[in-house]
Amino acid sequence: MPLSIRFKESFKTALAMTIAYGIALGMDWDKPYWAGFAVAFISLATVGQSLNKGALRVLGTLVAVVVALTLIALFPQDRWLFILALSVWVGLCTYMMAGGKYQYFWNVGGFVVVVISASAAPDSVDAFHIAVLRTEETGLGILVYSLVAVLLWPSNSHAEFNAAARKLAAIQHRLFQSYLGLMNGRGDSAEVPSLRAEVVQQQTQFGQLLAAAQTDSYEVWELRRQWRRYQRQTADLTQTLERWRESFAEVQELDLQRLVPDLAAFGAELEGRFAQFERMLANQAPERSPEARDLALNHGEARSLSHFHQAALAVTHSRLQHLERLTRSLFDSLADIKGFGQTVAVSETASSRGAGVVPDPDRLAGAVRVIIILWLAFLGFIYVPDLPGGAGFVSMAVPFGMILAASPQLPIMALFVPAVTGVLFAGLLYVFVMPQLSSFFGLGLMLFAVTFAICYLFAAPRQALGRVFGLAMFVVVTSITNEQTYSFLTVANTALMFPLVFLLLAVSTYFPFDLRPKWALQRLLGRFFRSGEYLLSTMRWDPQRSPSRLDRWRKAYHARELASLPQKLSAWARFIDTKALPGTSAEQVQALVTSLQALTYRMQELLEARANPHAEFIIQELLQDIRAWRLRVQEAFGRLSRDPASGDNQRARAILEDILGRLEARVEETLNKASEEQLSAQDREHFYRLLGAFRGLSETLIGYVANAAAIDWVRWREARF
Amino acid sequence: MQLIPSEFVIGDVYFPPLLIAALVGFFAAWLTTQLLNRYRLSRFFAYPPVVLLSLAVIYTVVFGTFLIPA
Repeated sequence: MPLSIRFKESFKTALAMTIAYGIALGMDWDKPYWAGFAVAFISLATVGQSLNKGALRVLGTLVAVVVALTLIALFPQDRWLFILALSVWVGLCTYMMAGGKYQYFWNVGGFVVVVISASAAPDSVDAFHIAVLRTEETGLGILVYSLVAVLLWPSNSHAEFNAAARKLAAIQHRLFQSYLGLMNGRGDSAEVPSLRAEVVQQQTQFGQLLAAAQTDSYEVWELRRQWRRYQRQTADLTQTLERWRESFAEVQELDLQRLVPDLAAFGAELEGRFAQFERMLANQAPERSPEARDLALNHGEARSLSHFHQAALAVTHSRLQHLERLTRSLFDSLADIKGFGQTVAVSETASSRGAGVVPDPDRLAGAVRVIIILWLAFLGFIYVPDLPGGAGFVSMAVPFGMILAASPQLPIMALFVPAVTGVLFAGLLYVFVMPQLSSFFGLGLMLFAVTFAICYLFAAPRQALGRVFGLAMFVVVTSITNEQTYSFLTVANTALMFPLVFLLLAVSTYFPFDLRPKWALQRLLGRFFRSGEYLLSTMRWDPQRSPSRLDRWRKAYHARELASLPQKLSAWARFIDTKALPGTSAEQVQALVTSLQALTYRMQELLEARANPHAEFIIQELLQDIRAWRLRVQEAFGRLSRDPASGDNQRARAILEDILGRLEARVEETLNKASEEQLSAQDREHFYRLLGAFRGLSETLIGYVANAAAIDWVRWREARF
Repeated sequence: MQLIPSEFVIGDVYFPPLLIAALVGFFAAWLTTQLLNRYRLSRFFAYPPVVLLSLAVIYTVVFGTFLIPA
């Protein structure tokens, strides 16, 4: 009978745990459970993932050891300066941990400093010994687990990575087909939300497996730059598909087949490219190369449309052209990776170039939260006599705080239940089983059996928290050493320490920022509209004049806010307790968040269209009208930033119709009197894109107001415990 | 007034009375806030988290003084 992956993975972790303990005890090292900790925390599904996490843990520990010893050496006699310096370091690590790169390195780098400092608290003479002990035992745990993972049923990430790449390409293909159908007025919009969610999920998995596969697969390592470029291009493709879809509302009433005669052939060409992506990812040579296509508009027909319809057409057209270029470069990238084409030079993209460091307020808030937890725990340790756990209370509170800072939406109960269950389970073993054991044979059997049981029972990815806490509590409570002593107080103290740690975490949910989902969501909504308002205000900048460094920095900050807030809002929206908000459903909240994502795309479209060069003639003639429109939209953003529920859907629609009517006449008048020299075809295209982007933004804003009106904001804003 | 502290004994484990009073006090405060939520009375408080904390302290002092004295 073939063994299941679940069985094999549980067996490997259990074996590594037992061997790590065996070696640590055999060497007579203090605190052998630190080796057990390393095994418990780095065991992941594939060798590559585990090795990556193990490497980050070792590096994080090494950095933490240096920082901890430096801080102890600098402030041996001044606890306040010491804790001040420690909180700066922990805050920095928490901030960096919430970023996209090397999260686990920063996590370990932060809490291990606290662990070493807390362990050395009774006598700083031991600090060096403790630091070295921590390093060697972490190294031991990782080495043992890596060897077990490599030698026993090795599971390479390469196959999983290839499968993830194929699945991502297949889902993007389906999304493209679905959107193409929708643009042509057919197709099923009901399947779109699930497809979009699948694309996002698959993209995340692809990224994780790429990181793992480049560690355990030489083939992927060799092509890691090309794969990274492919990853960026697929992310760009997803965004382009979404922005393309946003433009459908205004073109669906047009006869696209007549206006864009090549549209069917163009669609078939792109469709063919997606099919070739899937072929190449299945290691089959492509049947044909992509043909560069310029999607020509039927200008004669287009001129017969209203100016706003022409503008909508220009926006959709530019998206399709972008899609064409992007799929062509994706084809080249894949052909390069799979050896079916020429090598393509890889260029790294720099983000927010020239704007300097742009801070993220949510990551800063997370860092402040952890610093507060650290200080409260430290003050408790100093001023509360016989605090359960003693210095261990501080070193336990900080890692929990860091987990919560990285995922502030996570309810505290999600951590509390596994932690308490782990303590109770480990307590029973400690009190009733361990005193019966007299040799490593018995102890090893128990270690193996318990680790195997926990890993096997909590094998699903969504049970990861339960697995990690179960193992961690088992390791902490049993506190296995060579001179084992048994005291009920150990279990009682640990059991009492956890409610206190969670009390601290609960306090940090309310102070200094209320991190309950319904309040967090309102704050983020305000920030979203403030950023939108600022970005609209930058449109008055003279394109001829270079903005100051501060202005560039502020613009980069707000652009990043606008791009990232819909995702953050979506994460918070999942935790909104709609039962406590009668009259508001989870679907309504989701619709609100989706309309914000649409607003982001529209704003990005507008800023891009604004950045294009515009004819002097147009600027002179229509500047006042466009400016007046921008100010109306900007004012609406300002109002929504103060009250995200303000605005009247009907009234906003009437105002927009009025503006569109007046502008249509003004544009007609202006374009009629423009000569060929004053207005080239490209100028017209740029102008129509700008006009289309303005209209798109206004329409989406009205859509948001309609979604916001469906929510019972009175109940939402009511204070609740 | 009783000068020797009375303790709670569960099995052979002695618990300080203030700990028990605090546990019962916190539970009572939590129950009160759930009722206030249920009947939409929570909206009359400026910052409910502080109210929960205050109620827990008040209940603990009341229980510690009258029901579970040290």
